[in-house]
Amino acid sequence: MSGRRTIYEIYWEILIYCKTPRSFTGIINRCDLNSKTGLEYIGFLAGKGYLSAVTEDGKTRYISTPAAGEYIALFSSLYQKLFDTGPGFRL
Amino acid sequence: MTHALSQFRTEIRHFFLISILNLVFAAIALAFGVQYIVTAILAQGADPAAAGLRILTGAVALVCFGLGIGWILATVRIFEGIVEIKDDLETEGTAIADNRLTCLIVRMLAHYRNNRKTISNMILVCTLGGVCFFVLGIANSVKVLSVSSAGFAVTLDNLLLIPAMLFTLGIALASLLSSYYFSKFAKVWDGRLHEIEISECALKEKLGLEGR
Repeated sequence: MSGRRTIYEIYWEILIYCKTPRSFTGIINRCDLNSKTGLEYIGFLAGKGYLSAVTEDGKTRYISTPAAGEYIALFSSLYQKLFDTGPGFRL
Repeated sequence: MTHALSQFRTEIRHFFLISILNLVFAAIALAFGVQYIVTAILAQGADPAAAGLRILTGAVALVCFGLGIGWILATVRIFEGIVEIKDDLETEGTAIADNRLTCLIVRMLAHYRNNRKTISNMILVCTLGGVCFFVLGIANSVKVLSVSSAGFAVTLDNLLLIPAMLFTLGIALASLLSSYYFSKFAKVWDGRLHEIEISECALKEKLGLEGR
């Protein structure tokens, strides 16, 4: 996903994408990040225990932990709640 | 189907329809602008008494032509993003996963943030376009109705101009309606961006970032 997103939207996107183990390159490509910011975001989420690094065939991959589920659920409920009201007209 | 999905789907569909309407009318506006410019140039010198009116019509048509180009470019930018989101939403159907729906909402928000300025420009362009076409429509009606000191008189030879005048006024109306609907959408989406800023506190807390 590209375009202007908030930091929380990017965290959410990384956690959703990492529901199955993903490489660093895969994450930054998918989330449209550069290496520097990608490292920062992944480092932050790993530090908070929302992402864990696993080694498969000598390659490091990242996977969302069960703790990430709470953040994902809260994020989804907040964003879907935005649509409780609409523009209030019919075409 | 959840309420969020139903509301999101309806909004995307409506936004798509308004964008299509905009594209169609922007193209017509452009074509009309060219037609009026050509008519104003070709009619130069034919009737010196009406030269002032033709110059005014030509000038307004030139403004309409420029606005039409701006209008098309702005609409295409908005339209492309909406089409992608709408297509993805339709592919998913009603059994869309919760995370997938949230993903599309985030994409729409990112698209809106990227094009917020364009949309407000578009509201302005649509309003200005509407006013310009309204003036053109009235200018046409002046050709149809002769104004004298005794009052108004209908010039029957020019009755054929009435459909063109009505068409021009129709474009003006469509343009003003587009502006109205876009401003309605913009108001709601601005409200949502504001709600997101407020809800960021909860996300911050969840991530343990309160002090940052």
